[in-house]
Amino acid sequence: MERVGVFTCTGCGIGEALDIEALHAAAEDPKPTCTASHPCLCAPEGMDSVRKAVDEEKLEGVILAACSHRAKRQELQLDRAATMVERVSLREQVVWSHPPNEEDTQMLAEDLLLMGMAKVTRAKAAIPISETIESGVLVVGGGVAGLEAARGASGLGHQVVLVEKEDTLGGRTRDLRYQTPARPPYDTLVPSGLPDLVAAVQDDPQIRVLTGARVKSIRGQPGQFSVEVETPSGVESFKSGAIVQATGARPYDATKLGHLGYGSSSNVITSHELEAMLSRGELGRPSDGKLPSRVVFIQCAGSRDPEHLAYCSSECCGVTLRQMAAIHKDHPGVETATIYKDMRTGGQLERFYQAVQTQPGSLFTRGEVSAVEGNGNLKVHLKESLLGDDVSLDAELVVLAVGMVPNSADGEAIRALRDARVRSEKGDSEIQKKEALKVVEELKHNEGTEILNLDYRQGPDLPVLRYGFPDSHFICFPYETRRTGIYAAGTLRAPMDGAQAAEDGWGAAMKAAQCIEEARHGEAVHPRSGDVGVPDFFLQRCTQCKRCTEECPFGTLNEDEKGTPQLNALRCRRCGICMGACPERIISFPDYSVDSTAAAIKAMSVPDEFDEKPRILALLCENDALPALDAAALARTQWNPWVRVVPLRCLGSLNLVWIADALSRGIDGVILIGCKHGDDYQCHYVKGSELANTRLGNLQETLTRLAVEPERVKIVELAHDESDRIPQLLDEFADELEELGASPLKGF
Amino acid sequence: MTRHGRVVAEGSVKKLAPRLLMPVDVPTEYSGNVAQGSAPGVNKMASTSALISSPDFRQEVLRRGGETAARCYQCATCSAVCELAPAEAPFPRRQMLWTQWGLVDRLAADPSVWLCHQCNDCTTHCPRDARPGDILQVVRGLVVEGLAFPQALGRLVANARTTWPILFGVPLLFWIALLGAMGQLQSPADFHAYDQIVPHVVLYSVFFPLSGLVMLAAFVSGWRYWRMMGVAAPRAKSFLSGIWATGVDIATHKRFGKCGTARFRRLGHLLLFWGFVGAAVTSGLLIVAIYLQGYELPLPLLHPYKLLGNVSAVALVVGAGILVVVRITDRDRAGASNAFDSFFATVVGLVIATGILVELARVFNPEVPVAAVGLYVLHLGVVTTLFVTFPYSKFAHMLYRTLAMVHEQAAAPPSGG
Repeated sequence: MERVGVFTCTGCGIGEALDIEALHAAAEDPKPTCTASHPCLCAPEGMDSVRKAVDEEKLEGVILAACSHRAKRQELQLDRAATMVERVSLREQVVWSHPPNEEDTQMLAEDLLLMGMAKVTRAKAAIPISETIESGVLVVGGGVAGLEAARGASGLGHQVVLVEKEDTLGGRTRDLRYQTPARPPYDTLVPSGLPDLVAAVQDDPQIRVLTGARVKSIRGQPGQFSVEVETPSGVESFKSGAIVQATGARPYDATKLGHLGYGSSSNVITSHELEAMLSRGELGRPSDGKLPSRVVFIQCAGSRDPEHLAYCSSECCGVTLRQMAAIHKDHPGVETATIYKDMRTGGQLERFYQAVQTQPGSLFTRGEVSAVEGNGNLKVHLKESLLGDDVSLDAELVVLAVGMVPNSADGEAIRALRDARVRSEKGDSEIQKKEALKVVEELKHNEGTEILNLDYRQGPDLPVLRYGFPDSHFICFPYETRRTGIYAAGTLRAPMDGAQAAEDGWGAAMKAAQCIEEARHGEAVHPRSGDVGVPDFFLQRCTQCKRCTEECPFGTLNEDEKGTPQLNALRCRRCGICMGACPERIISFPDYSVDSTAAAIKAMSVPDEFDEKPRILALLCENDALPALDAAALARTQWNPWVRVVPLRCLGSLNLVWIADALSRGIDGVILIGCKHGDDYQCHYVKGSELANTRLGNLQETLTRLAVEPERVKIVELAHDESDRIPQLLDEFADELEELGASPLKGF
Repeated sequence: MTRHGRVVAEGSVKKLAPRLLMPVDVPTEYSGNVAQGSAPGVNKMASTSALISSPDFRQEVLRRGGETAARCYQCATCSAVCELAPAEAPFPRRQMLWTQWGLVDRLAADPSVWLCHQCNDCTTHCPRDARPGDILQVVRGLVVEGLAFPQALGRLVANARTTWPILFGVPLLFWIALLGAMGQLQSPADFHAYDQIVPHVVLYSVFFPLSGLVMLAAFVSGWRYWRMMGVAAPRAKSFLSGIWATGVDIATHKRFGKCGTARFRRLGHLLLFWGFVGAAVTSGLLIVAIYLQGYELPLPLLHPYKLLGNVSAVALVVGAGILVVVRITDRDRAGASNAFDSFFATVVGLVIATGILVELARVFNPEVPVAAVGLYVLHLGVVTTLFVTFPYSKFAHMLYRTLAMVHEQAAAPPSGG
């Protein structure tokens, strides 16, 4: 990009704190095509003047030296496809966070502008992908979440195919007679709404329901999935734009709950078995068919127990309340008692809880069940009950409120199993074959669990997190999975009750619709929503090391037989992790590349040792660390003026050559600030910060070899809300470097 | 110690059982030795091998307006806010739990139930509107009824909601019949004193034996209660050792004074209490005046005995007035009224009102003796109701609360551990 204009905003105190003319004059090599300043760039006149200049000067790129790229996104927009916009954050990173009209502040502003120029001049115009995009939505699973997702997608104008493996729709809640109240005053059971929902889906002309069906294969990418479904009447093939997986959950295997009497007495049943009885309208003890006089419910049966399910399934308290109320309603005179660890009744369910509590014949008590004794008539022994003693309760029927296990398939494990199987047969050595067999043994239980049968290099199903729930960002984008265009909803995604699952179905349907719409414009989905640039692979130099295909968190890349990456651009989220992975540096985005960032690093001034102006390069994750820095600036927190910030799309896009470049230029230290990683990761791209950490570990050795103190490179985890910490981190690092003294590589 | 050993306080619980519909075969064990642990209230109770709840008891609680007990989720806000609850055995959280479980034997033997003055601080702070203060009141009613002797009278008073015509009517008819038979139901000529209508000797011959019977009934109930408490939590000291401190406390209402939020009710109750004491003393002094000092009735208005009587009457009126005002203006704190509560309040109110009217009628309106005679008979009727129902109505709190306080004084110090 050669024709670049620089437009500086002098509003928000920028004009008063900096010498704008000197700033513009500093941009010499490369020299901008034109420079201008405006007192208020974000006003319509401001951007009109920019647009005019773009037309007159035929600019390919513009630099808006104003506020942070996170501010005024709408106001400072240009036609993205035609002109590249680079924002230089003079407001947040310079004038709000440094003393006005000082030499160091001016130098900082000038460096940032030079760095911006370096980036833009090395960028290429992004050409959006323009391909045929299908707008249909495939919904896998016909339970509450799936039905609602189908209805939601249809309501948004999409053709829907709903695939259900059973012969009837409804999933786990198919036979419910009652459901917990969803309307004020939330205190009485209401008839199940499922029949109406099923009817609505079946009557919808835009929804095609395939029952008794399974997904045979899914190929392609968002907007272009080719789906094959096995139905009782043969294989059906169709195209689909996006997929909602709502395969639900199954009850925890109660045979593992022998300590609660399951298996040793037929009168100990699970809540699901009770549900079946209640829906038939015949409450009876399995041992003799007699109506029990007292039913004792045991909550958290196997839940919140590290030996069984470590998590709370969130619906069981509500299920028990519903069943108690149903018993009181249909079988007056039958007593119910519930033993709980904690009653967890979110939202308005609390009101229903109070209502059931005051129903005659119900008793709730906290306690830990130590044993269930007996065969016909049972005794439930409690310890640590609120009564302060060991207590036992007579029961004629005991109901275990068991938790749920997601109906998911561990895509990565299935792939590992398949690979190991191949290795065990065609391995290079006996040792390798033996090792592979061990892996096969370990992962064998995943055999035949496939659900989506994706034709992805990284495995046929969604990657899962702990406990088998599909990996997604739980708080920020719950429906998102690690496979672009495939959204998880309902109890597959997280434990939840019917009302939540319904909402979840709609949420996932909306994400699916959004994904299709973005694919139509060649844009990335969240979190770089709207980005049209796709990575370019200079394959002539590819060594088939497979690092990119392995490390992409989203399974974007497939491989040919040789292991050469094959891009599925519509799966790509533009994080740049592949770019950071590639040892040959052959992967680059039109507006983000190893080269352009290296150029930016090279563009900053490095005064020599005797000026006593050290330089610190801060590589910041633009999703968490940069917003935190902006927030610190908004609070007018000051930080060290030697710091030069280069935002990265993800710390995972870090290429070590940048650090090597920086240090060899005599920059005194490099600090990398990324998201929290590990089990509770906060990385928007799942694995980015973790990968950066690993890569940096490899670097430390090299540094020692170069006679550079390893302390000059530091990596820190920081959360989005730690705006008070980030200026401190920068200042502390500056102090540490001051103690180390000037970089030994300065001036070489 | 057998696994399903009978309760040591066998008599009391068995007697409680039929009325309170508790399953008689509750296999609760009271062992003499104290389980190691924290709260003495529970420790000293027992190690309980097995319990079953009594839904019938819960039904009974429900019937008496205690349906809110089920809402309790044991957060213990109530015990934390209660000014009266002792740190080593706080209430009423535990009592709420026992109520939910229907552990009537534990409730009946627990002095805490009576240590509460129902200021309802707990009720106003309860996050789930379980109204612990009201529940304790219901439990107190159940205890009074359960320990009543004879049982039938207890049941009669407990059902005052429907049986009130009997409770008021029978004593009234008794007096009308008695006086009618004696030919006294007529306006006396030259009316100046009430012994013209009812000779004192008649009063003595009715009230002295009646008092004896009532005392006997109260003693039986009190004895049962005292034993039950002693079995549940053995006492270190004797009955007498606690009596002085308890007496002082009752005279000053010191403990009640800790209920900061109930200070007006305490004042009202204090006045009522001393008013009754004054009235009782006056009655005694009148006997002294007539038989030892040879006075003629009525005494002159400024006679010290007369003055004491009238001051007591004023205290009663003011005290009762305060209680009524508090009840009306602060409904939340006053708690839900049930029959147990309102029957006693009505009787006391009627005794005070008719007593004062009787005096006023004689002093200001001697020309119309018919009114005076009518009022006097009415007064005798309600006083008799008050007397007879003493061990069975809320009036019995005098007995049970006093015993509970003495028990607390005599209780063993909390075991360290």
